[in-house]
Amino acid sequence: MSTTMPTSRQRRLRTWAFWAVPVLLLLTPLATNAYTQFIINGMLISILVTLGFTLVIGNLGQLAFANTAFFGIGAYASAILSAKLGLPWIMTIPLAGALGALGGFLASSAALRGIRSYYLAIITLAFGELMRWAYLHTKPLTGGTDGLPLPRETMFGISLSDDTLKFYIFLAVTVVLVKATLNLLRSRFGRAVMAVRENEVATASLAIPTARVILTTFIWSGFVVGCAGALFARHVGHVFPESFGMLHLIASFAMVLVGGLGSVLGAVLGAVVLTALPEYLRAFPGMEELFFGLIVAAVLVAMPLGLASLLRRLSPIFVERYYREES
Amino acid sequence: MDTPEPLLKIRDLHVGYGKKPILRGATYDVLPGECLTLLGANGSGKSTSLNAVCGFVKPTSGSVLFDGIETAGLSPHKIFSHGIAQVSQARDLFPDLTVEDNLRLGAMRRGGKEISQTLQLVYERFPRLAERRKQPTRTLSGGEQQMVAIGRALMSRPRLLLLDEPSGGLSPQFCEEIAKIIDTLKEDGVTMLMVEQNLNLAFRAADRFIVLRDGEVVDGGDVRAMAGDHDAIVREIYL
Ligand SMILES: Nc1ncnc2c1ncn2[C@@H]1O[C@H](COP(=O)(O)OP(=O)(O)OP(=O)(O)O)[C@@H](O)[C@H]1O
Ligand SMILES: [Mg+2]
Repeated sequence: MSTTMPTSRQRRLRTWAFWAVPVLLLLTPLATNAYTQFIINGMLISILVTLGFTLVIGNLGQLAFANTAFFGIGAYASAILSAKLGLPWIMTIPLAGALGALGGFLASSAALRGIRSYYLAIITLAFGELMRWAYLHTKPLTGGTDGLPLPRETMFGISLSDDTLKFYIFLAVTVVLVKATLNLLRSRFGRAVMAVRENEVATASLAIPTARVILTTFIWSGFVVGCAGALFARHVGHVFPESFGMLHLIASFAMVLVGGLGSVLGAVLGAVVLTALPEYLRAFPGMEELFFGLIVAAVLVAMPLGLASLLRRLSPIFVERYYREES
Repeated sequence: MDTPEPLLKIRDLHVGYGKKPILRGATYDVLPGECLTLLGANGSGKSTSLNAVCGFVKPTSGSVLFDGIETAGLSPHKIFSHGIAQVSQARDLFPDLTVEDNLRLGAMRRGGKEISQTLQLVYERFPRLAERRKQPTRTLSGGEQQMVAIGRALMSRPRLLLLDEPSGGLSPQFCEEIAKIIDTLKEDGVTMLMVEQNLNLAFRAADRFIVLRDGEVVDGGDVRAMAGDHDAIVREIYL
């Protein structure tokens, strides 16, 4: 399949479209009830989770499954910093990102020791389970099985339990991180990331510092997902170890695949569609999981390159400069 | 007349895979501005020689002096930074990336403006690539991919270019194109060490040749002196 690249006019159009989406979204609180608003807030979080995940497994091509670990680290960091140290929640977002980045650093150190493919998968899965064990067994800090509630807090005189206020904050964080990621991928660095994925040895022989490329991608992924963790902590108001288990990892993985591996647009689409889907499946009580699984499988069979590939076929506007076209 | 100081001096080079020795004391020079061709039977260690120069394999002993710097044992990216670029037999391109991305990756370590200038030069040399700059590299023909591989090596402005069978699998017209490219590279002062089985191309493009057998250099000479006497060389190489 050959895809034409967008012309410069189409690229300008794309820039407009990119900014039009969040601007239009500013109006959603006018058109939604509290419940829908809550679901949309969850979508924004899932977008960041999926984005960080696809960067590592799609763009960089490393089979690392520490994504939920980064997410949990971010969420617990935010909850602990708010509840135990009394930091304003908004300030915990970058700190949660930094700790997520530290998680990314740890995960990359396995990859940089030459641990690859299935071995990297197992080690990073173990990292996730280890983190969950840590949440359970550091009760004074994390509350153990009881979890850790976030303190009541207000911003601009509005309670942070207000979903509309949260929506605007989440939207701002999401737009900034998605835009930053796009810029990163469109830079020379992004080209090097793709080169590492396609042929690491050849990339190294061109004097491109592959270790630094791998490290930086993991760290950025950890940062994005760590920030998402901080949003999640406030979103649900109470963090529990169960939120950061295999189920979350598999759901995020499904979002990556349904959207399209290694595509930023795909991360957004996958997160939005798979967050919305269970809401529609509520009409079939008892069958929700079954239908969910069948729909995901059907999408992947019909579109192995994900929903993003569908849009790419519609218009070159949606062609990202870098995406994984064939597995 | 004194000969110029060699750009590359190989001295008593030993290379092996595991316990199996491939090069056993190879010694030769590459002079600045020349194109030297390595000849030898399949499996005689020609690719291994190039890989030892660019660092893909580590010599067990001996010396590789590039412009006075000992490069034996350095990692490939260090050697690349010193100005040695290889177009390997497998070409090692990034198939899903566009032609232009592949070319730009050859010059990642240099500044942006200079890259654009070099890119322009490469496109002037390979107009076919300019037409296909936005195409994924895997959609190009074999010959065009070879051009990308050579172009990418040129992006780093190498002082020594290693070419492993540039004609491999390509049609006679393409061989002629490659020969022309080598001519213009020589005019630009690029020094080349080439492996080439196609003797017509080898003798058309190279200034000197050496023959590898049993891991050693057994023969060599000026290409012009051998003109018209390919048979003698073929016997030397393969018998
Ligand atoms: N990575 C490797 N591991 C083990 N043996 C190798 C390796 N690479 C090459 N060899 C062996 O070393 C010998 C020389 O290989 P080399 O590729 O240098 O030959 P060549 O002269 O380039 O041959 P050709 O003309 O077929 O390209 C061969 O016997 C080959 O099997
Ligand atoms: Mg060879």
